[in-house]
Amino acid sequence: MTTGKYTTVSIPKSLYNRIKKLVEETGFKSVSDYVTYVLREVVAMHESEKYEEPFGEKDLEEIKKRLKALGYI
Amino acid sequence: MVKRLFVLGLDAAPPSLLFGRFIEKLPNFKRLLDNSIYGRLKSCDPPITVPAWMVMFTGRTPGDLGIYGFRNRIEGRYNEYTIPSSKDVKYVKIWELIARRGYKSAVVGVPPTYPPQPLNGWMISGFMTPSDKSRFTYPPSLKYEVKSLVGKYVFDVVFRREDREAVYKELVDMTVNRLKVINHLLDTKPWNLFIYMEIGIDRVQHAFWKYFDEEHPRHTPHKEFGNAILNYYKLLDDWLGTFLQRFGENTAIMVVSDHGAKYMKGAFAVNDWLIEKGYMVLKDGVEPGTRISEAPVDWNNTYVWGWGGYYSRIFFNVEGREENGIISREEYPDFVKQFIKDIMSIRGPKGEVWRNVVHVPSELYSKVNGSPPDLMVYFDDLYWRSAGTLGYDNYYLPENDTGPDDSVHDYYGVYVYSEPGIRERGQSKDLSIYDIYPTIAEFFGFSVDELSGLYGESFLNEVR
Repeated sequence: MTTGKYTTVSIPKSLYNRIKKLVEETGFKSVSDYVTYVLREVVAMHESEKYEEPFGEKDLEEIKKRLKALGYI
Repeated sequence: MVKRLFVLGLDAAPPSLLFGRFIEKLPNFKRLLDNSIYGRLKSCDPPITVPAWMVMFTGRTPGDLGIYGFRNRIEGRYNEYTIPSSKDVKYVKIWELIARRGYKSAVVGVPPTYPPQPLNGWMISGFMTPSDKSRFTYPPSLKYEVKSLVGKYVFDVVFRREDREAVYKELVDMTVNRLKVINHLLDTKPWNLFIYMEIGIDRVQHAFWKYFDEEHPRHTPHKEFGNAILNYYKLLDDWLGTFLQRFGENTAIMVVSDHGAKYMKGAFAVNDWLIEKGYMVLKDGVEPGTRISEAPVDWNNTYVWGWGGYYSRIFFNVEGREENGIISREEYPDFVKQFIKDIMSIRGPKGEVWRNVVHVPSELYSKVNGSPPDLMVYFDDLYWRSAGTLGYDNYYLPENDTGPDDSVHDYYGVYVYSEPGIRERGQSKDLSIYDIYPTIAEFFGFSVDELSGLYGESFLNEVR
């Protein structure tokens, strides 16, 4: 069922209970709040272009090029 | 009430402009100052953006951090270096410290914070980020929020170009977009500490200083460019107005700069001077403007070489340390003494006395990590930057060697502090960049006893 901006997905009850316990002492208002947060992060990671380990060779070259243009190196 | 501190970092903002020349034209900064204590903030040595911001937000020295500038020499190599990244900052950042008490932070623009490390809150890395295609936020999903808001997110502007009009436009566009992002974070994220560092101030000062400052040796009056720096400050002032309206009553506010700025007299070609003094030998002649890394240096007969920048890093060619080292460990102490004497005796192009400053890292810092230079030299109190290139007939260069630049760094930046119910107001004593970390820590309830190994002190007792 979809109402307004939200929709419902199903997760196993046991997982729901684990999350409920987990979020008790955190700033998350509800299990939904937590699940949304975690999914956003995971999805963003997957969506991001196939990315090498940050600050690999390519990154370093980019930064060096910039610092050179800035006259720092 | 939510405990909140907003830190506005203005890279290179000097007291002479923010408290002096411009203040009457910046109504919102003026209003903030009227309700604050404020004064000069002494930078670290070297007074350079990297490491200064991390010195501020870790409370540690460049020696502790092992970061001495935008590049760190690989020990033993003549001109090979690494670029410091967030991974090189091994000490606890202020946002990590207060997270231990559950406080959330939003951190935008602080170098080096790329690649962003996880924190209790939100981060957008600073101008040492490869591009907005990189993973420049924490959490990673924030990147998509930012890009859906502003399209392309700009980290910095290349200011060393003759087309100043384009530079100015890019600076304004970059900042307007960043302010959109800042407002978005303010609107949508719960935060206790918010650090927003704007690099644009430094860039606009480097690019436009000669157009307004009558004392600048190459002062060039220009109707439009003469107001570029002021107009840029006004852009931030307008934003500050809306911020104060919204948060002013229940948020503490700090404005800080990592170092100051002043007009540039010129660039000193330190390697050409070394050649003349016999400290360096080339195998061949070179074209003017050759980078030291590309020069045919005869390392078997060279004692000293120098790197350029707003300060000069001096390296000695030491036996057993450098590949072709020729100064023995026994000779080293006397060699250093004699060399410092020579540096101190350098005068200006007209024979005028210079106030040269030489620092020995092991004397300056209690810990010296990483690969420090043997000496750190400020020519004429920083008025002359150091040219990293060589091959000139005359080692006094009226212009910068790596593209147009009108200003250099200065030792003193600014601090401004205001909080709801503040008791003291007005101009106050000089503080140090090392005082910021303990002050923010105390603001969030940390006691002196909990903060060991620091060099500064909280100044909250001055205002409460």
